[in-house]
Amino acid sequence: MARFVARRLLGMVAVLFAVSVLTFLIFNVIPNSEPAQRMAGKNATPRLVASITEEWGFDQSLPQQYATMMKKIFTGDVISYEGRENVDARIAEGVPATFSLCIGAAVIWMFFGILFGYLSAVRAGGMLDRTLTIVAVAGISMPVFWLAAIFLNYLTYKLELFPSGGYVEFTESPLDWANHLILPWVTMAIVYVGVYSRVLRSNMLDAMGEDYVRTARAKGLGERRVMTRHVLRNSLIPIVTLFGLDFGSLLGGAIVVEAIFSLNGIGQYAYESLINTDLPPIMAIVLFGAFFVVLFNTLVDIAYAWLDPRIRLGTEAR
Amino acid sequence: MSLLSVRDLRVGFNTQSGHVQAVDGVSFDLEAGEVLAIVGESGSGKSVTAQTLVGLTRGPNTRVEGAAQLGETDLIGASQAGLREVRGERVAMVFQDPMTSFNPVYRIGAQIIEAIRAHRPEVGKAEARKRAIGLLDSVGIADVARRVDAYPHEFSGGMRQRAMIAMALALEPEILIADEPTTALDVTVQAQILALLERLNRERGLATILITHDLGVVAEVADRVLVMHEGRIVERGSLDQVFYAAEDPYTQQLLGAVVRIDSAPPLRPAPRGEALLEVTDLVKHYPVKSGLLIDREVDRVRAVDGVSLSIRKGETLGLVGESGCGKTTLCRAALGLVEPSSGSVRFEGREIAGLSRRAMRPLRQQMQIVFQDPYASLNPRKRIGQIVGEPLRRQGAARGDELRRRVLELLDRVGLGAECFDRYPHEFSGGQRQRIGIARALALRPKLIVADEPVSALDVSIRAQILALLAELQQDFGLTYLFVAHDIGVVRHVSDRIAVMNAGKIVEEGPADRVCERPEDPYTRQLLAAVPIPDPREARARRQTVGPG
Repeated sequence: MARFVARRLLGMVAVLFAVSVLTFLIFNVIPNSEPAQRMAGKNATPRLVASITEEWGFDQSLPQQYATMMKKIFTGDVISYEGRENVDARIAEGVPATFSLCIGAAVIWMFFGILFGYLSAVRAGGMLDRTLTIVAVAGISMPVFWLAAIFLNYLTYKLELFPSGGYVEFTESPLDWANHLILPWVTMAIVYVGVYSRVLRSNMLDAMGEDYVRTARAKGLGERRVMTRHVLRNSLIPIVTLFGLDFGSLLGGAIVVEAIFSLNGIGQYAYESLINTDLPPIMAIVLFGAFFVVLFNTLVDIAYAWLDPRIRLGTEAR
Repeated sequence: MSLLSVRDLRVGFNTQSGHVQAVDGVSFDLEAGEVLAIVGESGSGKSVTAQTLVGLTRGPNTRVEGAAQLGETDLIGASQAGLREVRGERVAMVFQDPMTSFNPVYRIGAQIIEAIRAHRPEVGKAEARKRAIGLLDSVGIADVARRVDAYPHEFSGGMRQRAMIAMALALEPEILIADEPTTALDVTVQAQILALLERLNRERGLATILITHDLGVVAEVADRVLVMHEGRIVERGSLDQVFYAAEDPYTQQLLGAVVRIDSAPPLRPAPRGEALLEVTDLVKHYPVKSGLLIDREVDRVRAVDGVSLSIRKGETLGLVGESGCGKTTLCRAALGLVEPSSGSVRFEGREIAGLSRRAMRPLRQQMQIVFQDPYASLNPRKRIGQIVGEPLRRQGAARGDELRRRVLELLDRVGLGAECFDRYPHEFSGGQRQRIGIARALALRPKLIVADEPVSALDVSIRAQILALLAELQQDFGLTYLFVAHDIGVVRHVSDRIAVMNAGKIVEEGPADRVCERPEDPYTRQLLAAVPIPDPREARARRQTVGPG
């Protein structure tokens, strides 16, 4: 276990390094990315551009610029080109909104994904299964931006059930917090409910053919116990992988949903920074996101060893 | 009155390719305290019969007719809830593959406790655990206090089957149904499990239905025998009646097809040619690595630990050993598929250990392999013509019409017609698939064929046919075989010489007859003593000399 964690930490550092270098390089080769020129404004004198270039260090070599930026990101001193605000502070500001959105949506999609998948598998071929299949395929097929637009149009503007967007701190008013988040949660969860229920259904149907399920029946267990303890338990293992990947990548910012519902989270910040080709926040957000992806992958592997005792962490398969 | 009485049982399945009548009018009685063997080949309906008795075959596509009475209980008409009280409580089952029959994610003890508490919810967890420990102890699991908390993968195959039996005994059932309980086990472990089943039958008077394809197993433990073929019982009677006075032609054929360890095949002159394959001091160790960031070798698995053997041209060398003894690793090293840690492998005098892939390539067509599992070793999405023709195409030996002609010729050689060319593997039976595997191996006219358990997955009557085919091909093409198997009886029938392998080493090697009749090594003796003999009188005689249990 210690060996496993040590290796993963090392791997994490390597991944974050590679991701940051790539982001930095991509930014420097795309056109229209002379930051000094753009910061100086439309009618800038060459002198102004030169002084900005010097002040911000744009004349230094790329490795040097990269090193300075990484150092600033980790010390919390990094300033964005656009608006000149502290990037780390701005990300910290976005964390509550993004995390509230992702955790809430994850709870919804895991609950309904597992419930629908379980019911479809148990009633495979029946009416309920067919209905849930249609629901799942519809959910997977609906684009998030379209679904969000439909919700906003009917539930917000026509029926006035929910606020049209924005984020309220949980500490301010838990009720308002939830009320503002319901539509984003549901919008985000629907696709995942569809995917997860389909994956779980097929895993469970596979598991039902296993010998140990026949053993469980042969020893006289009730059907529900056979399904939950023997079929569902073993079928959840691949779901954990999926969840780790999806959830980890969403914590780095759910760009579309956040932007549509103006949640002012990390995703929205990422969206604005991309529009403005503003390197410092892009770098910081990409690193932030990559960190969670790698972290959740590691957690998934640890969860695996716990869910399936045949897996031993840290010993190589022969 | 009989304990269990089955009358005119019929079980049919509606499948995509039509209605299949798996069981077609089966009637029998099971008396208290007896061991009833149901014998048959795959697809004979023996397992379906047993599973139907406890409702495990019920489903929307199944039609069950007839009657089955367990005491006062009507097993066919019972509700699911009624059957649940029968399963585990009155009729317990043990299945073939102990690897997959336990749920891998729960501890052995927990799965036994679950069985107890499913029927006796009033029994507390601590009490159930105590009972589970007692049960595991009674089936001969050592160090139970610790082992009860082990996971299934931490048990060996034999221990798992013991634990499975312990679980079946948990509620003191009236009937134990053992469905091929020893088929997946090594022969020495099989002997132990059979002895355990016999002891339980004797000590507890446990009525047992033993389902098996292996007549040797039947002769060891059964009191009465039913022979099933295509869903019907074709022969029934006491053990001796069935073995010595069988009336049904199918039964006679089945008995005739059995390969017996104690009967010598006709002698043939031993090939005296030069050595085709010479293995000297072959070692293959797999390192076990550990360490925080940098790998250090902490231990090694000695898969092959200093093996020397040679095979002459035209000879068959039988390699016998139980699972995990290193025989597969040895074969792979002999074929140049794994690099040995040390030692030499010479093919026609040329060193092949450590050769590069490129240098190996021309040699590959001289050595081919036939695998154990004819289901897994043929690509299900390719037609037979493509499968058999692939080696020819790969090596650039033939194309177009010439390729087709050569493939048809190969299929003909292994007894398959031209109509097979465009069909897919799933359309063939196990024996036919093994013929396809042999045709593929023959395609490049190899000198050496390594046959890795080529008949282990096949029914007895098919097994005899495949062995005959291999012998005929050896004659016609002057082939040399390295014939690997765990069943020393089969090996004796095909081999000129036998090498016995145990724990990575060859413990005994010599002419087939000598090794089987006058074994020198204690391990070989143990192996031979464990082989069940499909002859009840012999089996009884042997038991008397060895003593019960």
